Amino acid sequence: MRRALGGYRRGEWVVFLGLALAVFTWEMASAQAPIKIGASISLTGTYAKLGSYTQDGYQLCAKEVNDKGGLLGRKMEFVIYDDRSEPPTAIKLYEKLITEDKVELVMGPYSSPITNAASTVSEKHKKIMMASLAATTSIWERGFKYLFMTISPAEVYMEGLVELAAQAGLKTVAVINEDTLFSKAAAKGAVDLAKKKGMQVLLHEAYPKGTTDFSAVLIKMKALNPDVIMAGSYFDDAVATTRQMKELDVNPKMYGVTVGGDVPDFGYQLGRTSDYVYGSTQWTETLRYPGAREFTDNYKKMFNREFSYHAPAAYGACRVFTEAIRRANSLDSDKIREQLLKLKTTTAFGDYQVDERGFQTAHKMVLLQWQEGKRVTVWPAHLADGKLIYPMPPWSQRR
Amino acid sequence: MPIYITGPMLLQGVVSGLLAGGLYAMVALGLALVFGVMRVINLAHGTLLMLGSYTTYWLFALYGMNPFLSLFLSFPILFVVGGVLQKVFVHRVVNAPELSSLLLTFGISILIANLAMLGWTSDYRSVEFLTGSFLLGPIALSKPRLVTFGLALAITGLAFLLLNKTKIGKAIRATSQQRDVAQVCGINVRRIDLITFGLGAGLAGVGGSLVSVMFSIFPEMGQVYVFKSFLVIVLGGAGNYPGAFFGGLILGVVEGLASLLLSAQLSEVIAYMLLVIVLLVRPTGLFRGRI
Repeated sequence: MRRALGGYRRGEWVVFLGLALAVFTWEMASAQAPIKIGASISLTGTYAKLGSYTQDGYQLCAKEVNDKGGLLGRKMEFVIYDDRSEPPTAIKLYEKLITEDKVELVMGPYSSPITNAASTVSEKHKKIMMASLAATTSIWERGFKYLFMTISPAEVYMEGLVELAAQAGLKTVAVINEDTLFSKAAAKGAVDLAKKKGMQVLLHEAYPKGTTDFSAVLIKMKALNPDVIMAGSYFDDAVATTRQMKELDVNPKMYGVTVGGDVPDFGYQLGRTSDYVYGSTQWTETLRYPGAREFTDNYKKMFNREFSYHAPAAYGACRVFTEAIRRANSLDSDKIREQLLKLKTTTAFGDYQVDERGFQTAHKMVLLQWQEGKRVTVWPAHLADGKLIYPMPPWSQRR
Repeated sequence: MPIYITGPMLLQGVVSGLLAGGLYAMVALGLALVFGVMRVINLAHGTLLMLGSYTTYWLFALYGMNPFLSLFLSFPILFVVGGVLQKVFVHRVVNAPELSSLLLTFGISILIANLAMLGWTSDYRSVEFLTGSFLLGPIALSKPRLVTFGLALAITGLAFLLLNKTKIGKAIRATSQQRDVAQVCGINVRRIDLITFGLGAGLAGVGGSLVSVMFSIFPEMGQVYVFKSFLVIVLGGAGNYPGAFFGGLILGVVEGLASLLLSAQLSEVIAYMLLVIVLLVRPTGLFRGRI
């Protein structure tokens, strides 16, 4: 019997063709499928507020990249889970994202302690972790190969305040901090900077995460009466410390907090009690980085609320990451790593450049002060949009 | 860096501790009542407190209501919430092993906290109503804490009046002492359960209203108060209601002084060491007898 079509029967051909077609369309489909980028973010718990800005920043970045044709010809899509502000939960979530959800890329969570924990997972799986909101130097001293930093390190958060205090001729400082990775490093940095300026550190004390009552440490401060009080804080502790400082009538000449002080809610929650408080920040709306104004407009349009630096930091990290991927023209970790190490750029968030550890070296901090319920940038001089009001008047003379 | 603790600082520490302790005492009394009568350890107590805080917050934010007046609403609202919880869920575990009540109330607390998170987000909120302090020489008396302390004392006093002077109060105490005998004597213990749980929830709710003037409000704020209330009850002796009152004050002062003399981190260590020591040495609490 003669075999049709080069040795195949017609039935076999149909099956073969169908199979080929199926494989082909499946390939096409997967080429069109979005690039999934995994992240855990604190959407509940202590860091919820700041975590929500982080998430917004990622979403806005994805939207803009997708509107402009996507990444390597594919859409990008974030897969985000809530880590409840707990490092162990974040570890589990990144493991799930990488092994079960099979995301192709990951980005960092919010906060130093959580990034510190979660990056062990990404490093193990040789995935780049673009850490958008981790500022603790020690995280980059572990020799990790695939971890990149976006924001200025914790140690310099209080640089502006210490400098202004030194200019004013102030001599004594007291420092408190939450007993977690970032806050500890920020407080340690503040102490070192103050000592370098010849100031005397009267008190340096830590409190556990979740503390709501700061009476005891404030009583000590009141007795010591330092010129400057600096708090290595997140948001809720910054609010509580400020409010209780008023209750206990503690009157430093300058008082600054590391993180909470630049969040819009700091002013909403405290009202005029927030006046004269300094907050250090990685970014403000008034800085003239390219794309910064567009970012602000687009953010407000998309989310209809005010935001703090966490949003542009997450956005900037994502833009740097996508730029590196574009240059690498690949999702391969080693190729992206090569580009991230070389890259020198400025996004809406400011400058980006890292050293061989992936540690941020280019980005700049600014200091703001609350004045009549508004945030005014007061340091460094060339970026300032207002004058500082000094000293902080005693509580008894305020309304 | 040595810090010299002076007399006024100690006094300030004791004052701040007492002011905090009054609130602990009131919140713990609610938990103690429920445990005394039903042998149910109500892990949802803190969640009910959180609901009280939000009641005050919304009344303040939407209608500008004086947060201290909102007590008169948060108490009945939480009383009803407590009553419903008791009627629907808790009555099923009243005579069951303690683990059942722990699991059930833990579940309820997770459920309510997550509903709150869905409905109100986990943003921190605050009632910025009364701030600042009265200055008495070197001592600062925080205005919100002073008012809170006074109200907590007054409400605790009312609760004791209810327990000691009214028929229903006597029935509650009788049920708490000997459930079966109380039932034999003609007390409707199911009804007493309902009222007690409502009362416990109401006290938690009032506690929440008072907390809201001092601290930030968020869906998971209640947890810490459950732990503190346990401590207070152990210090005072389970089932010993006046003991719970003094236990609250003692906890406040111990915490205040420990974080003043040592550090904030050690103050919790000291508080829980106290718990362990009391359990070892005087498992019936620091105060003898019960009412």
